[in-house]
Amino acid sequence: MSDEPVIQIRNLTKTYRDFWGRKKVQALNSLSLDVKKGEVFGLLGPNGSGKTTTMKLLLGLLFPTEGEISILGKPASDVSKNERIGYLPEESYLYRFLNAEETLDFYGRLFDITAEQRRRKTEELIEMVGLQQARRRQLKEYSKGMTRRIGLAQALINDPDLVLLDEPTSGLDPLGTRDMKDLILQLRDQGKTVVMCSHLLADVQDVCDRIAILYGGELKELGRVDDLLKEQKETQFITSELSDDAVAEIKAVLQKHNASLKSCGQPTSSLEELFLRTVQRSKDRPGQRYVPTAESGADSTSDASPSEETAESSS
Amino acid sequence: MSLQPVDFNLLIGATQWVIVFGSFIGVFLLVAMATSFPMYGLAGPGRVVAGALHGLGEFLSPSPRRVYAIAMLTYKESIRKKALLVFVVFAVLFMFASWFLANPSDRPDMQVRNYVAFVFIAINMLVLPVVLLLSCWGLPEDIRIRSLHTVVTKPVRRNEVVLGRILGFASVGTLILLIMSTVGYVWIQRQVSSDVDLFCRVPVYGDVTMIDRTGNPGLGVNVGDIDETRSFIEGGTRAAGVWTFPLNEKADTIRLESRFEAFRTFKGNMDRSLRVRYVLVNEAKSLRVPLPTFEVDEFGTNETEVARKQTWTDEQTLKTNEVDIYDDLAVTSDKGTYGALVVHVQCLDRSQYLGVSQGDFFIRLPDRSFATGYIKAVIGVWLKILVIVMAGVTASCFVKWPVATLLSFSVIVIGQVARGFLDKILSGKQAGGGAAESVYRLLTHMNDTATLPENPLTSTLQLFDHGLQHGLWMVKFMIPDLTSFGMSDWVARGFDVPWQGVMLPSLAVTFGYFLPCLLLGYFSLSLRELEAK
Repeated sequence: MSDEPVIQIRNLTKTYRDFWGRKKVQALNSLSLDVKKGEVFGLLGPNGSGKTTTMKLLLGLLFPTEGEISILGKPASDVSKNERIGYLPEESYLYRFLNAEETLDFYGRLFDITAEQRRRKTEELIEMVGLQQARRRQLKEYSKGMTRRIGLAQALINDPDLVLLDEPTSGLDPLGTRDMKDLILQLRDQGKTVVMCSHLLADVQDVCDRIAILYGGELKELGRVDDLLKEQKETQFITSELSDDAVAEIKAVLQKHNASLKSCGQPTSSLEELFLRTVQRSKDRPGQRYVPTAESGADSTSDASPSEETAESSS
Repeated sequence: MSLQPVDFNLLIGATQWVIVFGSFIGVFLLVAMATSFPMYGLAGPGRVVAGALHGLGEFLSPSPRRVYAIAMLTYKESIRKKALLVFVVFAVLFMFASWFLANPSDRPDMQVRNYVAFVFIAINMLVLPVVLLLSCWGLPEDIRIRSLHTVVTKPVRRNEVVLGRILGFASVGTLILLIMSTVGYVWIQRQVSSDVDLFCRVPVYGDVTMIDRTGNPGLGVNVGDIDETRSFIEGGTRAAGVWTFPLNEKADTIRLESRFEAFRTFKGNMDRSLRVRYVLVNEAKSLRVPLPTFEVDEFGTNETEVARKQTWTDEQTLKTNEVDIYDDLAVTSDKGTYGALVVHVQCLDRSQYLGVSQGDFFIRLPDRSFATGYIKAVIGVWLKILVIVMAGVTASCFVKWPVATLLSFSVIVIGQVARGFLDKILSGKQAGGGAAESVYRLLTHMNDTATLPENPLTSTLQLFDHGLQHGLWMVKFMIPDLTSFGMSDWVARGFDVPWQGVMLPSLAVTFGYFLPCLLLGYFSLSLRELEAK
């Protein structure tokens, strides 16, 4: 990450007006922030806080009421800036009558990419988003997750320097979410700048270097994720498993130093980690399944061949 | 009713286009500058000019690849949204049309006229609504479902969107038209009796003036015919219709063809029709060469072969003379390479009248194939498709699809049907005056031919109407003149479609509207917030 700003927003205000010019909603109020080159920047906020409006102002889909935007050194109204931008909209507003190949070919043409490059890039991206099996199916037959994947592929067709992702993990299953997050980090590693807006806080926490929190169209927090989340008056240790005696000794030491122990126990993994672990295990050992034991009430897993599983299911 | 030639001058048309288009741009810029003052103060006009120049720069540098991509997308969209279902209706129409149209007792030319008219009515009725709806729905639907957001967030200029959409819808219309017109051509060939020749006459029309019964230039007689283009020559007098035909190529014979109407004031001789005589005249050389008298075919055509060398006897000197049409009879004229041929048409039956109009009488050049005229008529429909697509896409850039459809439909209908009415109002010949005067007459129960009383109120109303007339003048130029696009009438009546009077104005109208439509669409999309709530 460098200090070179890719996006500069100064006193950005957006007011929606009705037909008669009367003020309807103030979506953004004097927003100022910079996004630096090579970082993953998250725009956070509840519904109606102005995240998507900011994104659309950056893309020139809306015109600012006041303030200025510079994006890749050009004003937001300059169409040529889009040559270096990839955009994944909140919903995948793609043409539903096209198939995946046609979609990528179409968007590739919009970037004036040559036929050979388009073909190559289409192959690469379809493979990257895992849509090889559905490449010839019209998008109207796609599930929401598949639509998001092809949406992401079209956003990357021009190998952009700046990627704008509006709710990138919305509609994705945990596996897709993990893939998306991995991809965002991969883009960052390639030196690209990523701006994403989301209200899924865990996703933002996982991938963003810096975040801005918006509320009511105003900027409420801005900074590095680690800095913002750090609890200044607490200290955390994570150790290997300790015996009860060892825990008692540590407690005594803490008392000696007038420190109180707020929690002590075995840490739990996140549900996402559990889910991904289970899926991975299922892939590695396809026959394994969950079997509840009636007598003890305990649960266990056992191995069964696919044929046995089928027989049990049908009986 | 004959088809009337239209005098069209491309240079005058182009000059008018520049004036009107330039005026609109000027008015637009002035309004934009005036409205920019309250928003940006003194910097406003500068911003408007800078914006206009930036827009012009973008407008003039479209990427062919992007335009092609959007055109192909539009094409695929239309096809995959089942636009081609229109062929089902087309097929049903053609399966049963011959049941109702076939009538062996019809004259051959009437058979051809019916079949050609049916084919083109069917094509017009099916293709034009489809392209109108497609072009009016496309962009607004794209904006509504936000697919356009994924396009304009790429380096796509708004004029590329408009141009791509126009080309895409036009290509869909072209595809449908090509298939339908090919089927229609084959169908006509199969339907028309084998003994009927299909061909296209090539007319050379002349200018026409009238000579009254005293032999002086004047007007023809008005017998109350519903066709206002037709005047009547009084028989047995010196009255005549004078046609001046340009001579652009030399031939050993000149074929004259006419289709006159008779108006009788008494039965006369029931065994024969009215007698008519052509006289070839060169006043400068005092030459008057009468051609043999013939009886007019009132419901058909009169064909006369005129040899290049004419022998005639001077009635006074009884001397036989020989003259050459090109060397002796042709008069000097700018319009013809070899000058012009002046032909007087006289009715010889006293107290009977011969109805003539400009298009009733022409020099017939060697015929062209039916296919030539048919293709030209198809081009006429194609040009209409282009105009409709341009109107639809442009309207859909700034209003939602129902309004865009209504707007485009109104423009097309006015351009096709109400053009004459607009011209009449603008010429000041419409009885009852303008809108305000008409309201006054309605409220005061005053006949529309009665003289309006002179008082301050009526003067004010007439002044108001005068202002409205200027507005209407501008509206007239905003609405495409589609009257010359109906080229199938010529083919249905066995004529080739004239280039100068029909095809050229249609092409000029189509191309004349292209740039303004593109510009209006571009600025409408550029100045519009696509995501506005």
